[in-house]
Order: sequence, then C-alpha cells, then structure tokens
Amino acid sequence: MTTTMMTNPGGDAARTLALANLPAALDLAVFEVTGPGFVGHPVGALPAWLGLPAGIPVDLCDQYPMLELFLPGLDVWEGESDVWTETDSTGQDRYLQAVAALSEGRRFLVLKSLPADLHRLQQSDHDVQIQKEKIERLSRELERATQAKSDFLARMSHEIRTPLNAIIGMADVLSATDLTAEQKRCVEVSQRNGVALLELINDILDLAKVESGKVELEQVGLDLRDVIARALEVVELRATRKGLWLRRNIADGVPVHLQGDPNRLRQILINLLGNSIKFTHQGGIEILVEQDPADRTPGRLRFGVRDTGIGIPPEKLDSVFENFTQADTSTTRQYGGTGLGLSISRQLVELMGGRIWVESTVGQGSTFYFTANLVVPEGLPASGPDAVAEQQPVAPPSVTSQPLTGMRILMADDSEDNRFLILSYLKRRGCVIDIAENGAEAVELFRRNSYDAVLMDVEMPVMDGFMATREIRSLEKAENRKATPVLALTAHAFADMAQRGANSGFTETLTKPIRNTTLLEALARYAPAEPQMPPPAQDKILVTIDEDMADVVPGYLDKRRAEVSLYRQALATGDFSAIRNLGHKMKGTGSGYGFEELTALGAALEKAAASQQSEEIAVKLDELTRYLGSVELEYRKA
Amino acid sequence: MLKKKICLLGSFGVGKTSLVARFVHSMFSDKYHTTVGVKIDKKTFPLNGEEVTLMIWDMAGEEDGAPVKLNQVRDAAGYLLVMDGTRSKTLEVARSIQQRVENEIGNQPFILLVNKVDLRSEWEIPEATWDELRAAGWTILETSAKTGDHVEEAFLGLTTRIIQAGDDDDDDD
Repeated sequence: MTTTMMTNPGGDAARTLALANLPAALDLAVFEVTGPGFVGHPVGALPAWLGLPAGIPVDLCDQYPMLELFLPGLDVWEGESDVWTETDSTGQDRYLQAVAALSEGRRFLVLKSLPADLHRLQQSDHDVQIQKEKIERLSRELERATQAKSDFLARMSHEIRTPLNAIIGMADVLSATDLTAEQKRCVEVSQRNGVALLELINDILDLAKVESGKVELEQVGLDLRDVIARALEVVELRATRKGLWLRRNIADGVPVHLQGDPNRLRQILINLLGNSIKFTHQGGIEILVEQDPADRTPGRLRFGVRDTGIGIPPEKLDSVFENFTQADTSTTRQYGGTGLGLSISRQLVELMGGRIWVESTVGQGSTFYFTANLVVPEGLPASGPDAVAEQQPVAPPSVTSQPLTGMRILMADDSEDNRFLILSYLKRRGCVIDIAENGAEAVELFRRNSYDAVLMDVEMPVMDGFMATREIRSLEKAENRKATPVLALTAHAFADMAQRGANSGFTETLTKPIRNTTLLEALARYAPAEPQMPPPAQDKILVTIDEDMADVVPGYLDKRRAEVSLYRQALATGDFSAIRNLGHKMKGTGSGYGFEELTALGAALEKAAASQQSEEIAVKLDELTRYLGSVELEYRKA
Repeated sequence: MLKKKICLLGSFGVGKTSLVARFVHSMFSDKYHTTVGVKIDKKTFPLNGEEVTLMIWDMAGEEDGAPVKLNQVRDAAGYLLVMDGTRSKTLEVARSIQQRVENEIGNQPFILLVNKVDLRSEWEIPEATWDELRAAGWTILETSAKTGDHVEEAFLGLTTRIIQAGDDDDDDD
C-alpha cells in the first residue's frame, strides 16, 4: 500500500478531486442536510449556474421557497419535489427538481436541472389551443355579424315592403278605373317599376338568406307536374304577351310523386323560365325533366329549360351564374333584371345536391340544365302508371275572374292604407267583409260571427296576428267550430316567419306587398265548398232524411266539408293512414245519417289509401267535393 | 416586516407570468413562454408605512389533464385569478379554479384580473357577466401587462385586502 502510494503520489488526490467535482460535472447540486433546520452543506463542487459560493452552508428553504412545501412535508427523507422554474446566474430559466435521499442515516438533497426543452411540447400544444380558441372567437364574431345583417335585412324588408305594398296596390286599383290613354301609360310605368323594385328586393333578400346559410330545404311530398304547372302559371302572362309558347316534357319513367322542397324547386324553374322569356323573342320555352343520364339513382333528376332565344357567347357561359352578372353589361340596360336570379338558382341547386350549367348557341337558343336529388317515397314505384311521358302545351287556369260571391271574410289590419287596398281588391267580388283594426278586435268579431276566411296582418298593436290566431284556434276548439282558414299577411319575407305562423295556426302566409291576383287566388282556394248562391237546379242532389235528424244532419255535412281539406293535405304529404282513417270513419257514419253515397265514398277512399293509390284518391276526393257541394236536404215526417 | 405568499392562477396563456414581470421587473415581452411548474418571485415594497414582502407564486396555467396543483396554493394568503378577455373559455377556467381553491383554503382574498385590456375590442364577454360576478362579491380589475394598466393596483390591492383580512382575524382573536 505504502509502495503504491509512493509510486503514485498524486493518485488519491486526483481521485478525491474527481469525486468532488463529479456532482457539478453531472449538472447536479448535492447538499447534506444536518441539524434541526434545512441547512444544506454543499457536497463537492456546485454547478456554476447555481451561482452559490462553494463550501458555504445554505438555508435551502430560504434560498428555494419551493422547498418550503416539500421538505417539511417529508415523513422520511425520501422523495421528489414538484418541478419549478428558477432563473440561473446567467439569467436563463432552468427547470429544477429536488430529490431527497437518505444514505447510511445521512440526509442528502440533490437539485437536478431538467432538460431545457421541457416546455417545448407543452408550449406548442398551448399555441395550438390558443389559435384554435381565436379561430372559434372569430367565427362567433362572424356569425354575430351575419345574424345582425340578417336581422337588418328582415327589418328593412318589412320597412320597404309595407309602403311598396301600398304603392303597387294603389297602382293596380287605379289601373282598373276609367283612365285616359296618358294616365294609363303613367300608371303602367308606376306598376312596372314597382314590380321591378319588388323583384330586386326579393332577390337580394333571397341571396342574403342563401349566403348566410339560412335556407333549409323542406322534405315534403310533391307532385312534379304540379310544381311545373305552378311555375309555368307565374310566367305564362309574360310569355303570352311576347307571343311565346310554353311546353313541358316529362320523360317516360320519371316518377312524379316525390319528396323534396316544392317551393324551392319551383323558384329555380321560375328563375330559369323568366330568364329564358327575357332573352327569347320568337318561338318558345320548354321544360324538360328526365332521369340524370350521369346518375341512375332513383329520384336523381335532370331538369332542362330550353329556349329559342338569343343565346350566350361561349366565353360567358361560366360567369352567368355569378352575382350581378349578365352575359353583356349592356344587357341589363336592354333587358332589365337584377342579375341575381341565376346566382340564387345555382345556390339552391347546390343545396339540393345538384349542379347547374348552360349549353347555348348564339342565335339559336340556350338550355339551362340542373340536376337535383329528390326522394322517391317508399312504397311508390320509381316509375309507374303516373309516369307516362307527357308533352303538352300548357294553359293554366285563371282564377282571377272567379267571384267570391257571398264569402264572409274577416280582415284585421292596423294600417288604414292596407285596409283600403284590400277593400279595393275585393270590391265587386261579392264577398262580405268585416274589419278589425287589431288582433283583439278580430278575436272579438270572430267570437260573435262565423267566417269563411280570415285575413290577418301579423304586426298590429294591442294584440298581434300570432296571438290573435292562437286565440281564434282555441276558440274554435272550445266551441267545437270547424277550422277557419287564416291567411296571414306579412311584410316579413323570412322563412322562420312562415314557421312561427304555422305554429300559431296560420293556414297560409301571404307576403306583402300583395298583388290583387295573389289575394283573389288565395281566397278562391278557401271559398266555401257549398255554393253561396243557389246552384243550377240540375246540379242538386236531393236527399230525404227523417225530420228528427234535422238538428244533427247539417252539422254532420259541415264536418265532412271541413274534412275535405284534411284529405287533400294528407294526400299532398303522402299520409295514407290519415286518409284511411278519415275514409273509414265516413264509411261507418254516412248511411246512418242517410247518406249512402258518403258511405260508399268513404269505403272507396279507405280502400284506395290502403293500397296507396294517389290517383284514385284524388278522383274520389273530387267526387266527394262535388257531392258535398250539391247535396240538398229534404225532411220527411217521422 | 410582513411576508405574504400569493398565487397567480388561471388558464395557460392568459398572461400570469407577464403580469409578474411587469410588477416585479417593470418589463414586458410579447413572446409567449409557457411556465413549467411554478416560478417564485419576491418583491418588497412599503404599504401604509410598513414593509411588505410578497412571495409571488406564478403557477403553471391550468390545461385539460393538468389541473392547478392545490398543494402549492395551500398556505397562500390570497390569490390573483387571471383570465384573458379575448378568450371566453378562460373565464370558465377561472371560475372553476376559484371554486376548487376556496374548497381547499377557504375564503382567502382574491381579485379577478381580466388581462389584455389593450385588446379590448376583441373581448366578447357580455357586460352582464361582470355584473353578475360583482354581485357575487368578486372584485374585478381590467389589466394589461403590456401597457401596465392596473397591474400595480392589482398586486397592491390584493396585499391591502390580505392585510385587512389579517387585521380582521386579529380582531376576532
């Protein structure tokens, strides 16, 4: 040993020095803790970053307050502290952790420095989270702004439509009076521009709704022929004035009873038809419907609106579907229109899962195509007896000349202008009108009288149209009165208005400004089934019943008459079980009241509903309507 | 000399460390640097003629899966709850922390700091929410570590309330 020591005189000293420097080399600070407090005596060299003088005892808790939590809490001198951050002697943050270790009864405390990139992962996670929250906030802000815009539009829509209602309506009224040629021309200019302004407002509102995602498509039963006929009705007058023919062509095998949004489908067709009429000066326009050649899924249809118009140059074909775009900037001046119709159509078509495009040859005409996903209801064949190929010119019936003789109407509107306008429209139509200036008055009049229809303004003082209609509905229920059609008149064009109206019990909602023809058509739909004027004698069906039934039979017939609209609604929505129930009930009661015919019709309707024969149901309903309209009672003594 | 421990608590990224840096070192950096564990700073200042040393525990922000360590709050005399006015979620975190801390250490004084008032145009919390919190007895200060707005008031205000609460305790004794 001595020899060894002699031969290697610096060995132990070097080893001792190495051991003394080891903790610092390992980036550790080691203290031995002695005595009652937490005074630490450095063991060996301390890492330079600690910034503590070597060899001098340190009050650990005073130096590192984090240890105040850790050290007094130790039951035995063993364990790890929480991590904490300490700024080192160079100003850098270090992540430290203390380890208490017991060795041969001696208490040691080791401070270790954790990797400097410890925070990185956490930091990037936080950065991502903060960005995400920021995006969410911006999206909420955007949503609020969109909502504000939408509310503003709804408000403006109301504010603009109400006076426009009066302007266009008065022009209509004026045009029906005796006018000189010059006066007539002035009125026409006023009417035409009023209508143009209204179209522009409607288009802007529609576009705003579609763009803000406020349009939700309905999914209800629809008859394709009906949708097309009603679209053609709207443009028929314009086509006739230009001497253009209108045709529809539904290909063989295309199902006509479908589910989808009939109103939006009609809106697209009207836009395309209107566009075609505008740019066609001779010939005509044809609506084509066929299975989408590119997609054989049942209900996937391709619609075409083909015209013999001026056509569109190839370089403009793509841009015609953009906002405020017509093929030529001079076109707007020449042809008018807002340039929004095709853009709205494109967005609606996309909502229906389809696409829209145009094929055109300058000088020969254009065909606007669009595809849409409609649903073929279960239980109905994809194609069937109702799906025969049709090609026919269209001559929609006109109802505007229909008298409303004897029809009893209750009108509630707080605006004197509007009341005057509607009275002007209905003048000489033979109907009887009671007037209320607010909802409360309307309810009171309704309580005392019975009406064939109610025209209900929505925004009124004292009691609004929603509340008044709810009161009317509960009154009907309480007094077991049949449901009276309530037609809401509103200048709010937004869809939720219709929804709120439906919830309140509106039968349908008419948007102001209301045109003469629209109002008359709507009222004609609710003109009483039994003629108010005696029908021609040959149409009467005389039924003799026992005199002791005289108190109940008229009420029974009234109920059946009221049920006709329920049948028709059920047929429109494909609710065959409702039709079956109604038919079954009528079958069971008709002959008991003396009406064999009603029992027979009830049975026929029940049977047709059981096998979901829509056509047959429609035929039987027409028979039922005719019968109920013609039946006349004669009493025989018991 | 009085020595008091206070904690800064809240969601991550709301500006707790920046508030401490502004108060203790009169410094501000726009760069976000997440706090690991806890960082303890000390500041001594006179208050009402008495020297006070605040031990300021700037605690790592709460995040999903890493709640505030309540053992570190245990002997705090009061706390600053910090939220970011531009992030409504951080108010929910602050409310939740306050509940847990109160369960842990009782009714110690605290102030809610709605930080980043320099970005007030981006705040989205409705006025009614502040009214509701004030009605529940909360003290709320709108701060900005960036501009220094109300930062001193926040720390001195909390300290004053801590001392006040201590005096009340003495009165009770």
